Amino acid sequence: MTKLQEARKKYKSVDVGFVLAVITVFQLCSSLPTIITDGKFQAVTALYFLAYIAVEWVYVFVMTLVFRKHNFEIECIAFFLCGLGMTITASIYPGGLKKQFIAILLGMAVYTFLVWLLKDVKRVMKLRPYIAVLAGVGLAASFVVIYFTVGKKNGAYNWMNIAGFSFQPSEIVKIAFVYVGAATLEKLQSSRSILRYLIFAVGCIGILFLMRDFGTALIFFFTFIVISFIRSGDIRSIAFICVGALLGAALIIYVKPTVASRFAVYRHVWENMDGAGYQQTRTMIYSLSGGLFGVGVGNGKLRGIFASTTDLIWGVICEEMGLITGLLVVLVFAFLAIYSIKISKSSPSTFYSIACVSTAAMLLFQVCLNIFGITDILPLTGVTLPFVSRGGSSMICSWGLIAFIKAADLRSYPKLYKSD
Amino acid sequence: MRNTVRRGYVLYALVVAFVCGLVFLMYSYAVNGEVWVTKRVNNHLYTNRQLTTAGSVFDRNGKALVESDDDGRSFINDVTLRKATLHTVGDIQGYIATGVQTIYRPYLIGYDFVNGVYKAVKDGTGNDITLTIDSDICKAAYNALGYNNGTVGVYNYKTGEVICMVSKPTYDPENKPDDINTDTSGKYDGIYLNRLLSGVFTPGSVFKTVVAISAIENIDNISERTFKCTGKYKTEDGTVICNATHGKLSFEKAYNKSCNSVFAQLANELGKKKLTATAEKLGFNSSLSACGVNLSKSLFNVKGADKNELGWAGIGQHTVLANPCHLMMLTGAIANGGNAVTPKIVRNSTSEKLSELLGNISPLAQISIDTETASQMKKIMRSTVKNYYGDSRFPGLEMCGKTGTAEVDGKRPHAWFMGFSQKENFPYAIVVMVENGGSASSVAIPVANKVLQAIKSAG
Repeated sequence: MTKLQEARKKYKSVDVGFVLAVITVFQLCSSLPTIITDGKFQAVTALYFLAYIAVEWVYVFVMTLVFRKHNFEIECIAFFLCGLGMTITASIYPGGLKKQFIAILLGMAVYTFLVWLLKDVKRVMKLRPYIAVLAGVGLAASFVVIYFTVGKKNGAYNWMNIAGFSFQPSEIVKIAFVYVGAATLEKLQSSRSILRYLIFAVGCIGILFLMRDFGTALIFFFTFIVISFIRSGDIRSIAFICVGALLGAALIIYVKPTVASRFAVYRHVWENMDGAGYQQTRTMIYSLSGGLFGVGVGNGKLRGIFASTTDLIWGVICEEMGLITGLLVVLVFAFLAIYSIKISKSSPSTFYSIACVSTAAMLLFQVCLNIFGITDILPLTGVTLPFVSRGGSSMICSWGLIAFIKAADLRSYPKLYKSD
Repeated sequence: MRNTVRRGYVLYALVVAFVCGLVFLMYSYAVNGEVWVTKRVNNHLYTNRQLTTAGSVFDRNGKALVESDDDGRSFINDVTLRKATLHTVGDIQGYIATGVQTIYRPYLIGYDFVNGVYKAVKDGTGNDITLTIDSDICKAAYNALGYNNGTVGVYNYKTGEVICMVSKPTYDPENKPDDINTDTSGKYDGIYLNRLLSGVFTPGSVFKTVVAISAIENIDNISERTFKCTGKYKTEDGTVICNATHGKLSFEKAYNKSCNSVFAQLANELGKKKLTATAEKLGFNSSLSACGVNLSKSLFNVKGADKNELGWAGIGQHTVLANPCHLMMLTGAIANGGNAVTPKIVRNSTSEKLSELLGNISPLAQISIDTETASQMKKIMRSTVKNYYGDSRFPGLEMCGKTGTAEVDGKRPHAWFMGFSQKENFPYAIVVMVENGGSASSVAIPVANKVLQAIKSAG
C-alpha cells in the first residue's frame, strides 16, 4: 500500500458534493434577507451571491474532474466562512460586495498558486532567501511610505494606498513569515541560517511595533514561538525568549506610556462604556441581544457601530444570526487546528508539517485575539476574523495561509505520491 | 520528523485554551447577560437612553399605566393619573430609582439567554406587569394632598398588597418640565424621590407608638400607673415643652392626648438601652426592603444624648428619623396581631422569572411585636381615634391611629397620621405624611379619611 492510499484510508474524504450542497443551502437562506430588502429585489446582490456559489462549485468540479483531487475539507471551511462575510457585507455595506467578491477570487488564486508552488520542496528551499528579503524589505519600505503618506489610521501605521486600493502590507507578510520560518527549519541548518531567521523574525515584529500594529505583532511573535518550539523542542529557550519579550514590552510601556494607555481600559470596559470601551461593550450588549437564534439578518444594531464589518463582525453574526452560528464560526477554526495536527502526522517532510501546524496556530491565535478582544477577555488589538471580516488583504492572506495546510496533505498531490 | 509531529501537539494546548476562553465567555454572558443587555445604550430597547420597548404596566383594575407603542413608551391618558402613579410606575429615563420600570426593567423587557430580545424587536413589547395599586385611589390621594408635598401609602396588612402609593412633588411624564434638571430655585427638589420608600422625615408624635410599645414590654403594670403633666418635662439638661398642661393622667390617656411630658419622662425612665432595643426590634436602624426596593433607613440614635435630648427623642424629635413605608409596616404589624407582612407592589407578571422572584420573598423578620403587646397597642390606638379625634372624622371605618406634628427647623411642621381600620373586612393600614403641612389633626387626618373612603367605596 502506498503512502497515499494509507492517507486516503486513514482520512476518508467527506462527500464534498453533500457538504457543499449544505453550505450552498445555508448561503442561500442566510443571504435571502440581503437579496430581498423592504420588499425590493436587489438584483446586483443576488448576482454576486449566485456568482460566488458558482465559483465554489466550479472550483470543486475542476479540481475533482481535471486534477483528480478528493480532499476539500479546507476549501469547504473557507467557503462557509467567506459566504458569511459576504452576507454581512451585503447587508451592512452592499457597495463593498464587489471588492469582497474580488478579494475572494484573488485569495483563491493565491491559494491555488501557493499549493502548486509548495509541491516541490527543493523549489521552496531555493526561494526562501528571496522571499525573506522581499518580505522584510517590503514591510520596512511600506512602513516608511505609510509614515510619510497615509499616516496613522485608527491608531496604527498599517494601511497603504496603491492605485485606489488600500491594503495592509502586514497581512501579506504573514504568508512569508510562515514560509520562511518553516523552510529555514526544514533541515538541520547551520547556526548562521538560524541566526538569519531570527533577524528576519525580530525585524518583522519590530517593524510591526513601530507601525503600532500590536495585534499583528503579537500574532507574529506567537507564530515565531510555535515554529521555534516545534523545531527545537527546547522549552528553556522558548521560556527565555518569552521572558525577554515580556521585559521588552515592559520597557516599551515604560518609555512610551501612550502604548499602555491604549490597553488601560482592558477589563474595565463597562466603566468606560462611552469612551475607550465603546466597541467592546456594544459588541457584548448586541451579541447577547440576539439570543441563541439571532434577531435576523438586517435587524441588528451593532451594524451601526464603527468597524462592524471588520473587527466586530463576529458580534454582528451573533446578534443577527444567533450565538449558535457565532459559536459554529469560531469552532470551525478549532476544528481546522485539530485537522491540521492530524494532517501534519503524515505530511511528506518537516517543512510541510511545521508550516501546517504553525499556520493553524497563527489562524486560531488571530481568532482568539479577535473574538476575545472585542468581548474584553483579552485586550482589544483590532485584528480581523480570518475569511469573515471585510477587507481584501486579510482575505487574500487567509486563503494564502491555508495553502500550507493543504500542501501538508498527501492527497493534495495525487500524481506526485501515486507511486511512492 | 517524528519529534516535529509530536511537538505539533502543542497546538492542542492552544485549542484547549481557546475552548476555555469560549466557555468563560459564555459563562460571563449567561451571568451578566441581563444586566448588559438592559443597559440604556441598547438601541433595541432605548432611544437616547429612554426606554421605548418593553411590556405594559397595569394597575389592579387592568388599566395600562404605561405601555409601548409606535411612539415609544406611552403613559395613561389622564394627566392626574400620570402624576399620581409616576413614582410607582417610574420614568423612562430611570431617574426615579424605585419605579417599577426601573427596578423590574429586565423583566418588562423580557430578555432571556435563549431568545435575547427577539420578542422586543419583533413585537415591540415585552412582559407585562400588573401592580397591586389602584390608580383611581392614587388619584384620590394625590388630590387629597392638594397643594402640599408629601406621601400617602395604604396597604392590605394581611396580604401585603399596596393599594395606594403617592409621592409629591411629582410631574407629568408625558410633559416633563424642561428645566427639571437645571432649575436652581428648588421647586423640583427631590422630585425623583418616592417619599414613601426613599424618604426619611422627623416623625414627631407618631414615634410615641414606639415608646409606648417599649413601655408596655419593659415597665410592669404600666397601664395602672398615673402620671402628672405640668405642661413641661424638666431635667437638669433642659425642658421638653408639652402641648398642654394635662394634669393627672393614665398611660393610655397620655398616648391618646399625645402628652409630651409623659413620653419624655418614659423615654428617660426606660433609658437609652431599652428604648434603642425596642426601636431596633421594630425596624429602626436596620435595612428593610419592601415593594422590591431597599427602604431608606429609619434612624434612632441616642448614644450621646443627654436627658433632655432623650426626652425629645421620646416624642420623635431630636435626631429621630422615620421612613414612611416603615411606619406603614409597623402600623400593619400592630393591626395584624404582631405579624408584619412585607408590602408588595406587583400582583402578577407574564414574566416567569419575575413571578418566581416574587414568590420567593422571605417573611419580614426585622419587625417583631408580641401578640399581647400588639393587642394592647391596638386598644390604645383605637381609643385615641374614638375618644380624641372622633370616629366622625373616619365615618364607618373603626379606625385606630396616631397623629404626629413633627417640628422642623425654620419651616412648618410635618403632619403625620398612621393608622388602620380594625374592621375584619377592611384590613388596610395607612400612613400619611404631609411635608411642612402644619397641624396633623387638621391636615393629615382629612387626607387619610379621603383616601380610605375612596378605597371603601371602590369596594
